[in-house]
Amino acid sequence: MTISGSSNGFGYWLLKGFAAIVALFGLAMALGGIWLITLGGSWYYLIAGAGMLLAGTLLFMLRMSGVWLYWLVFVGTVIWAIWEVGLAPWELMPRIVALAVMALLTLACIPVLRRHSREARS
Amino acid sequence: MIRPITLFGLAMISWPAFAQTQTQLPHPLPLLEPTDAAVSGQDPDLEPASNASPRSIRPPEPADWPTYGRTNAATRYSPLDSINRDNVGQLARAWVYRTGDMPPESVDGKWAPENTPLKIGTSLYLCTPRNIMISLDAATGRERWRYDPNVTIDSIPYSASCRGVAFHEQPDAPEDALCKRRVIEGTLDARLIAVDADTGQLCPNFGDNGQVDLLQGMGESVPGFVAVTSPPTIVRDIAVLGHQVLDGQKEDAPSGVIRGYDVVTGDLAWAWDMGRPGETGLPTGDEVYTRGTPNSWTISAGDEELGLVYVPMGNSSVDYWGGNRRDFENRYSTALVALDVTSGQVRWSFQTVHKDLWDYDLGSQPTLAEFPTDNGQTTPAVILPTKQGEIFVLDRATGEPLTEVVERPVPSSELPDETAAPTQPYSVGMPSLAKPDLTGRDMWGLTPLDQLWCRIQFHRASYKGRYTPPSVERPFIQYPGYNGGNDWGSGSLDPERGIFIANYNNIPMYDQLIPREEANKRGMVPVDQPGGTTDSGGGVPQAGAPYAVSIKPWRNGFTGMPCTRPPFGGIMAIDINSREVLWDVPLGSARANGPFGIPSRMPITIGTPNNGGSVITAGGLIFIAAATDNQIRAMDIETGEVLWEDALPAGGQANPMTFEAEGRQYVVINAGGHHFMETPIGDYIMAYSLPTLGDTESTRSLED
Repeated sequence: MTISGSSNGFGYWLLKGFAAIVALFGLAMALGGIWLITLGGSWYYLIAGAGMLLAGTLLFMLRMSGVWLYWLVFVGTVIWAIWEVGLAPWELMPRIVALAVMALLTLACIPVLRRHSREARS
Repeated sequence: MIRPITLFGLAMISWPAFAQTQTQLPHPLPLLEPTDAAVSGQDPDLEPASNASPRSIRPPEPADWPTYGRTNAATRYSPLDSINRDNVGQLARAWVYRTGDMPPESVDGKWAPENTPLKIGTSLYLCTPRNIMISLDAATGRERWRYDPNVTIDSIPYSASCRGVAFHEQPDAPEDALCKRRVIEGTLDARLIAVDADTGQLCPNFGDNGQVDLLQGMGESVPGFVAVTSPPTIVRDIAVLGHQVLDGQKEDAPSGVIRGYDVVTGDLAWAWDMGRPGETGLPTGDEVYTRGTPNSWTISAGDEELGLVYVPMGNSSVDYWGGNRRDFENRYSTALVALDVTSGQVRWSFQTVHKDLWDYDLGSQPTLAEFPTDNGQTTPAVILPTKQGEIFVLDRATGEPLTEVVERPVPSSELPDETAAPTQPYSVGMPSLAKPDLTGRDMWGLTPLDQLWCRIQFHRASYKGRYTPPSVERPFIQYPGYNGGNDWGSGSLDPERGIFIANYNNIPMYDQLIPREEANKRGMVPVDQPGGTTDSGGGVPQAGAPYAVSIKPWRNGFTGMPCTRPPFGGIMAIDINSREVLWDVPLGSARANGPFGIPSRMPITIGTPNNGGSVITAGGLIFIAAATDNQIRAMDIETGEVLWEDALPAGGQANPMTFEAEGRQYVVINAGGHHFMETPIGDYIMAYSLPTLGDTESTRSLED
């Protein structure tokens, strides 16, 4: 398939698009998070948003470390969410579901990232 | 143990009450059939015969549902049990009737029928949003008659609603007399109308050929400003009537006067105008009923024995500013007022919010109960749920709380021209329907981003817990919201099991005062000026006050989803003996709601906003629709488990009722939808019963 055949194929552009979404999502969270902190609210959104911004940037640069960083943010988010609302499903939904979907998508990025690093080495 | 005694006691009590009634009636009617005199061994000239007892005093026939709350005690409890926990799963549509009263497009954003039919004998009696009175054959749903008072659409206030009609029978009138049995309704265009229950003909001896003009003595008004949306409560042959006055318009609004009318003649028996104490007649000359006073738009409860009617009062005009309220307004606004039904005098009053600045008007019809007190006795009590979710239990004769009520300090107003009350009453002796005060953690959304936006809004607003006073510099959060807690759906009481049921909303409001200058720039004017509207949500002008106000349920502007976590509504069962919560569950599924207004189709219980109340049957069941998922449900009263449900063809924002006809029990609900609840509107009266043999050709007209 052409998707896997070329580093500039379909998978490559999908990864770039997804990385941009993660970065922008993180940027919005970080900026809103700063506003929230100035109002006396939770620090979570700034920290997680900054982490996602950085993870998205790394993914965009085709670095495997972006996946690791994203997962660090996600695992931290799950711990924070359970700390904040316990195991109430409706309340965990906004905190976890969207980030979990993105976490699964980062896994889908791994083959492209590996191929890229192989091509970079050779 | 106490319950059978209670019922028996009520029956016994009706005797002396009846004697009193006869002597106090302005137009005593001759006793035509003194047949029972021989039975009771009494001289008919000295003592009234038993069968001349007004129908309303006797316990109703088990098969009937003769007033809005089934009886004036408003228990919404039916002794019928042929539909019960074992067989309710087989409940099916028996008939569907359509009233035909659907809105023209210009007002379909105002439709909220909210009707609960009555059932007496073989007939149902109901009214439509435009006050068309209709009688149906109870067993088949076939129309017997209709009377259309031709209410015009410009008379529609915030909502076109007709919660119900009232029924009255004169037992001592000749059997064939016109209007021996009559149906009475108040209309959106402020008329009180009486028609013959058998034919739908106007009662010629009632008022002016069947009608009474309720704008008499009211002074200036415009269509839509003064409207009746609830049935009168008839006690000792006096029809007691409040009316709604459109919220948020102006300080100089029409009066909230409460009036009692002779149910036979339509004559004004008395008027309770809190600004004219001691005067109970129609104002004379240039005088009008005191303007801007609290009104009662919901349904009163009544006590034949004590001769009292319990009137749930609303707030003074205007709702969100109280800097100029008068002493009598500060006394009676958002209070339950017990009026002597014969004289119209105040017997007692109990205020549930001091100086209400939040439109926490009393929407719930109170429920009368024999309430177990600490010494093992019972006391005649009135149970009053509120929009804040408090449940007050008061002595029916004195208004004294029977369960502990404490005054707690509440935040003060920062406005120079406002003084909030320093304390508010909390009914700590009973469970509360309210959830704890909000924190940032309670903010909700679809993703962390929209949740974050709600968190930012939360921290931007003024919020100091319940009774956060209105503010102008910043938005303020009102929680619980003005739709409850509990609203006009009210509570229901199983006197046999001693269980009180109340459903509630759990949606905060996000409000902000608007300085007058800014309101003028936006062109905010009251309904009686060019450009004014009958909208009372969103922004309202509060003309005459220094501020207009913006009021809205708190939702994320992007997704349209509530900014706070579910449940958005629930239903609670309270044991009135132990005063403890038996169960408390979310009410309604996510099937018809979702982000961006798209139904999620998920049959998962989330707990939706709701309007409309419950019915309890001796079969151990609660019937309730109310939720915005358009379902009607039967729940086990002991566990809250849903045993049966059906999807209605429109929103079920109405109180259901149940009755028996031709030996068969039916459950009926008006599926009419509700604009504020954003459910699909309709004109359906849905009847459910257990299928029986030979039922294959049942009238399932929906599937036709």
